[in-house]
Amino acid sequence: MDTTRATSSPASRGSAWLPLVASVAAVAVLAVVPLFVSNPYVLHIMILLFLSVIMGSAWNVVGGYAGQYSVGHAAYYGIGAYVTLIFMTQYQIMPWWGTWVAMAAALAVALVIGSITFRLRGPYFVLASIAVAEVIRLTVLNWKSLTNGAEGILSGPIPRITIGETTIKFISKVPFYYVGLAMVVATVLANLAVQHSKLGYYFQAIREDQDAAHSLGINLTFHKNVALGISAVFTALAGSYYALYVRFIDPSTVLTIDVSVQMVLICIIGGIGTVLGPVVGALVLVALSETLRSNLVTELLIAVGAVSPESKVGAFLKEHLSHAHMLIYGILVVVVILFMPDGILGWARQAMRRRAQAALVAAAGEKR
Amino acid sequence: MTLFLQSVVSGLLVGGVYALIGIGLTLIFGVMRIINFAHGDLLMMGMYTTWIAFTAWKVDPFVAILLVFPVLFLWGAFLQRTFINRVLGALPQNQILLTIGLGLVMSNAAMFLFTSDYRILTTSYSSDSFRLGGISLSSPLVVSFLITAAITAVLYWFLMKTDTGQAIRATAQDREAAQLMGINVRWMSILAFGLGAAFAGTAGALISPTYYIFPQVGQPFTLKAFVVVVLGGMGSVIGATLGGLVVGITESLSAVYISSGLKDLVVYVVFLLILLFKPSGLMGKSRM
Repeated sequence: MDTTRATSSPASRGSAWLPLVASVAAVAVLAVVPLFVSNPYVLHIMILLFLSVIMGSAWNVVGGYAGQYSVGHAAYYGIGAYVTLIFMTQYQIMPWWGTWVAMAAALAVALVIGSITFRLRGPYFVLASIAVAEVIRLTVLNWKSLTNGAEGILSGPIPRITIGETTIKFISKVPFYYVGLAMVVATVLANLAVQHSKLGYYFQAIREDQDAAHSLGINLTFHKNVALGISAVFTALAGSYYALYVRFIDPSTVLTIDVSVQMVLICIIGGIGTVLGPVVGALVLVALSETLRSNLVTELLIAVGAVSPESKVGAFLKEHLSHAHMLIYGILVVVVILFMPDGILGWARQAMRRRAQAALVAAAGEKR
Repeated sequence: MTLFLQSVVSGLLVGGVYALIGIGLTLIFGVMRIINFAHGDLLMMGMYTTWIAFTAWKVDPFVAILLVFPVLFLWGAFLQRTFINRVLGALPQNQILLTIGLGLVMSNAAMFLFTSDYRILTTSYSSDSFRLGGISLSSPLVVSFLITAAITAVLYWFLMKTDTGQAIRATAQDREAAQLMGINVRWMSILAFGLGAAFAGTAGALISPTYYIFPQVGQPFTLKAFVVVVLGGMGSVIGATLGGLVVGITESLSAVYISSGLKDLVVYVVFLLILLFKPSGLMGKSRM
């Protein structure tokens, strides 16, 4: 179908150490950031970035590699968030146990949903995934004794952990930063493992041509379920992380279709079905929405002198541009789908290849 | 018994509007095989157009249809020509995401322009009702049901009897064959998307006297339109009409006999069951 996705073939592994070194270096740099940066706003943005990367990479397993476009992942995100907080607030079970329960619950739900909906294909599967997520949202909304309905759950501070001599208090953002970073590494590694394993080849075969894959003896329902299971576990992890960080959840923040759509967008914008795609997508989206939300663009325009703060335009931008990040999201999606169907990463790779080719041609021309 | 009849009748009245939304979606799907995730946002645009006409020029919402229909038709035709047309051969996933993106742009542009405040369009008859054989009927809903029925009848006549209508049906049946027969399929696609958008907008105008108007109002209607269309069989206009009525009645019966909080849940469960056991819908494989 397209060639950019398939470049992870064994032939190209010889030169694969460069991205590996770069990734290890990036993680090392990220790991020391809190030692030098104590600005809570910067750490907050980084935590949001980690959350987006985990969400995008989690969806990527089932949507990107196995090609099953679920637009109902809010279900697993919400289950992760709700199970963790319910266990913590109602049963006083520590979140580091609750998260595992949440992941197990999401896995169980995913397998039930998967074995029902994976009989459907294409648009029917998309619609079914949305409907299932809505059923779960409405159940949570109406099961007031357990979930507190539309009012949501507000939790107290997270209890501290003592490991040996050291005690970790979840008061500052630093512990959340490290937990998030560790989860990012785990999720991205899971994507890498999927991409290069036999299982991942099965997923990609299903994505490219279901019927051909079936005729080669790949059990479609089983492998789609495995992909969804992996994806759901990491999605629940992201939900649980969000719930513990924000300490307030309600159906309209963790269970709406917006969450599902956002997970898809992170992958589409970055580059679907690639390990780094969701990372790039998350970077772009978080950077974009934060610059808009914090009114940096308007301040920049004013500083440059393009608009004066007293003028009508300046006042309008100042008031409205901070709410415009979803509008920009929408425009970005339209542009990406129309002009960069392989996402920003695929587009950049192609541009680089074209440049290299042009350089070769130019060099050959000079020789003659 | 009166309670049962009452809930069936009010379900039927609401179902008429669902049918109109579903017909628009099914028309677009039939001709282009594209599921329009921005459908509810087109409805939202219809609501705001009605609201502007009402507050600025005191135009009655039901008269405003005469404005909303052409405006939304042109908007839909524009969307088809500039965006949708480019992905007709692309992966279905990309088509879905494009319409999701367009929907995000529409709803957030509305938020930009009108803020997220809830608007209410209060007419002298918004809460009027009359009684018929022991059953209470809301006047605006009855009027909108009658208008829906009239529009559906005209559309059906258009599709069945006119040359253009037949060309649309032919395009829906087999795009390539239609093209070989000399039908301008590009124009038919533009027409179908325009009509689909116009129907969604009209539905928005019809419900504006009885609903809140806000930028995110479209999303639940998009979901409901999917249910209606799948229930009736994707691409079938009669199916969508029936599907709309069935969804309306299911909703109102489950609100009365189960719980009003769970009525949507029941609808989605029915939807999933239909998807699993009869994915071709109530009207089987018939196309339009």
